[in-house]
Amino acid sequence: MVTEVRTGDTVVRLDGVRKEYGETVALDGVSLDIRAGEAVAVMGPSGCGKSTLLNMIAGLDRPSAGTVVVHGENVGELSEKGLALYRRRRIGMIFQFFNLIDDLSALDNVALAAQLTGTPARQARRRALELFEELGIADRRNAYPAVLSGGERQRVAVARALMNRPALLLADEPTGALDSRAGEQVMDLLLDLNQIGQTLIIVTHDQHLARRCASRLVEVADGRVTGEHTLEPSA
Amino acid sequence: MRAVWKAARAAVRRRRLQTLVIWLVTLVSTGSMVVALGLVDAASAPFDHVFGRQRGPHVVAGIDPGKVTDAQLRDASRKSGVEAVAGPFRQATVDVPRSMADLGLGGEVTVVGRSGPGGAVDRVDLWAGRWPTRPGEMVLNRQSDWTGDDIGKKFHLPSGPTLTIVGFAFDLSDTADVWVAPDQIAALHPNTTQMLYRFRDASSQSALSAGLARVTERLPKGSLRGSQNYLTLKHRIGSNARAYAPYLMAFGILGILVAVLIVANVVGGAVVSGFRHIGILKALGFTPGQVLGVYLVMVSVPAVLGCALGTLTGNLLAKPFFQFVFTGPDSGMLHDRVGIAPWVNGLVLSGMPLVCVLAALGPSVRAQRLSAARAISAGSAPRAGRALGIQRTLAGLRLPRSVSLGAGLPFARPARSALTLAAVVLGVTTVTFATGLATTMTLFGDRGKGAYDVTVYASNYAHGKQVLPVHGDTELQSLLGSLPGAERVTARGDEDARLEGSAQRVIFEGRRGPDLPLDDVLVRGRWMHRPGEVVVGSAFLRRNGVDIGDHLRLRKSGREEEVTVVGELMQDNDRVVAGTWPTFTALVPDGKAFAYHVKLRKGADGTAYARAARAVDKGLSTQLTGPSSGARTIIDSATALTLMLALVASLGVFNTAVLNTHDRRRDLGMLKSIGMTPRQVTVMTVTSMAVLGVIGSVLGVPLGIAAYEVVVPRMAAGIDITLPSYMTDVWHAPRLAGLALAGLVIAVVGALVPARRAARLTVAEVLHNE
Repeated sequence: MVTEVRTGDTVVRLDGVRKEYGETVALDGVSLDIRAGEAVAVMGPSGCGKSTLLNMIAGLDRPSAGTVVVHGENVGELSEKGLALYRRRRIGMIFQFFNLIDDLSALDNVALAAQLTGTPARQARRRALELFEELGIADRRNAYPAVLSGGERQRVAVARALMNRPALLLADEPTGALDSRAGEQVMDLLLDLNQIGQTLIIVTHDQHLARRCASRLVEVADGRVTGEHTLEPSA
Repeated sequence: MRAVWKAARAAVRRRRLQTLVIWLVTLVSTGSMVVALGLVDAASAPFDHVFGRQRGPHVVAGIDPGKVTDAQLRDASRKSGVEAVAGPFRQATVDVPRSMADLGLGGEVTVVGRSGPGGAVDRVDLWAGRWPTRPGEMVLNRQSDWTGDDIGKKFHLPSGPTLTIVGFAFDLSDTADVWVAPDQIAALHPNTTQMLYRFRDASSQSALSAGLARVTERLPKGSLRGSQNYLTLKHRIGSNARAYAPYLMAFGILGILVAVLIVANVVGGAVVSGFRHIGILKALGFTPGQVLGVYLVMVSVPAVLGCALGTLTGNLLAKPFFQFVFTGPDSGMLHDRVGIAPWVNGLVLSGMPLVCVLAALGPSVRAQRLSAARAISAGSAPRAGRALGIQRTLAGLRLPRSVSLGAGLPFARPARSALTLAAVVLGVTTVTFATGLATTMTLFGDRGKGAYDVTVYASNYAHGKQVLPVHGDTELQSLLGSLPGAERVTARGDEDARLEGSAQRVIFEGRRGPDLPLDDVLVRGRWMHRPGEVVVGSAFLRRNGVDIGDHLRLRKSGREEEVTVVGELMQDNDRVVAGTWPTFTALVPDGKAFAYHVKLRKGADGTAYARAARAVDKGLSTQLTGPSSGARTIIDSATALTLMLALVASLGVFNTAVLNTHDRRRDLGMLKSIGMTPRQVTVMTVTSMAVLGVIGSVLGVPLGIAAYEVVVPRMAAGIDITLPSYMTDVWHAPRLAGLALAGLVIAVVGALVPARRAARLTVAEVLHNE
């Protein structure tokens, strides 16, 4: 079911989410609302549970208790197939280490996301090429991940995340593996995306990234939300 | 050393699935190799063993006593090259009463006068009763699976004397049918003196001929009436096993190839997938030699355990199969002495672990030479894409993306895929070969099926006494034909006869009635119709150097008949000559049928008919037609060996799929993160192996057919038969299509479990670990 979403509507609602890995508690009663068009940065020390939080929203993992509702869908109640379709239609994911397939060219890596939804190969490649143009890496479309720079790989990863026009773009330390120049480029890209209405959740250690791209900061420590702040847009 | 052992143990514990696969692959491969090699070896070894134990004669010579005295024979035997000698023994050819047929003796038997079963040559195994010590006693040459209950029975010989059975003995060399005391033999009119020789050089026909020439060179000309050497006997006794040998050899070779390839694949893959671990060990301070040691130990422990258990399993599986193969008129006596030869166990026990170690050595040495940093990065650093042209082409096809992605995966790991492909090819070759063989054997086993349903014998045994029919021969045939359910009755009689130009006696068989072919299969020529026409088996033609259209002269009790060979039967008995009843009675005027083959009407009850037949005359016994156990055994063993090899091939595919899944955990996690469903992951992983399955079928089916064309004619030749074309014309389109699926099935079955495992990967965990 496709839900019409307007800017300002709540698109993500976490209510009392708890996640345990054996005896380790990664998240402990997290409640959080995120509205359409928002850019939210999640920050906290290593091992505090911020990546787990992102995985819950992305449908990469299920909560042990509590609910994660995205666009009216209770993610925790979805079947494996349901989760896959959810990720395919609603979520775009950017990883710290890019996670590109080495055996496919940059263009094929990006087109693949559309092809999984049944989009014909030619149409998928055309859409991927548009994204490559927008992200300024069109000349690298036929290169393979092994020969791309870190910044280029992350741009390819962003293109792949945007391929199916997701309602929610999730980024896990998107600049963590990049040098400062490449990191700046990715930050600009994320900012631009948010400014045209893309809802964005960024998990990061980087204060600069958070202040630059996010309108709200969520602080996490020991699996709990310890604070929320509205951020002023930086120049 | 302790550190190496500790690290290896930890590696084994951490890689439980891979350890299990190595163990399972070596177990199944070793088991099938033991069975295959053991059977090929056993085809000849049991004879040598038993023959040696009995100190069997290398040559049995028949001397004319009218021309040579015993003293001359003893003197002639004192020659260089003679290891031992027994004799002279008096030998007679004696007509025996029909009642002795129940003891498996024909109309004429060879009787030898011997004072005891032992001696320097031909130590006869007296397994029941005692040796004859005075006139009127005899011992029969019978295998130990014969009953000893007949001891005490008396038989009156047509030539006068009455003999009582006092014992049973077995002589592998078949020097006599009956032994009597030396005091008795004179009354049986001996016409030959038997000498038994063992020579120092008995390795070949020419050495045996030379040895015989030496011991007879001083004897008067024409005094040697005939001789038989042990190599001929060995050939005859090994015929049953020889029929199996080519097919077992084919299975053995296939088994060895599959086993070596899969083990190399599994072990090599285990080392390659552990490169990252190797890097960590080096970073911790392990020397290159210690790293090598860790990996060799890690692979050797499950491999050696698998080999040991596989050898044990192979020995256990082989026993019942061996017992069947070596059971039969010519080789049943060896059944309790056949086992896996020690060299087979030794070879397999040392060879298979060696294969494992060698397979592990290559990649281990490569890992040993890598720097720690490179070894670590080998497990996770991005690689430049491989086989990208194929990937790109596949991506452009109108296929679901999971299918096109999967189809491209084997090309990204060409070496590993090549090994897996080789295993699938061999698996398909085996399945194809075994299917063709099983079809031929089924047709062979079904030959003459439905020719008749009940056989009625003109002889019965009740309360320890033989009972003969009260009705006459032709009267019995009519009576049996008039019983409820009977449709047609064909009579069969036989007698020993001499074939002119040959020392060998033939079994001349006469048939009377509407179904002259009975259960025989004609390979060439036509059936006999007119008096004087006969059909013979392929073995007879080859042994006697005759062909269709040739004339034979048969002699019996002073009568002589010329017959013409008009057809060749699929018959491994080289003594049978079959003709019409008038041809039979021309040579044997008082010949009678010993059996009546009854074809029943559709729906008639065979058991009820047999009961009715026995009620007609107390002198009749009956037997219902059953399936051929020989063909059944080959089919069963082919099926078992095929399943074993297909299982090994599937394990190879399974291993490749497991390794690929492990290598691609990050990719799979990523694909799932962008929306690939578990089903699509399964399809992709299965497709990657199915591609190898399809290629394996394309290559394996023709190879299997070629193996069949090489092995099956040799198998038939091994038992002296020619198979008719309808039995070897087994490759039809639907079957070939089915076989083409074999590779696909092997690949899909092997990939299914790892594919489902891949589909269940938890994305967050995989990506987090990376």
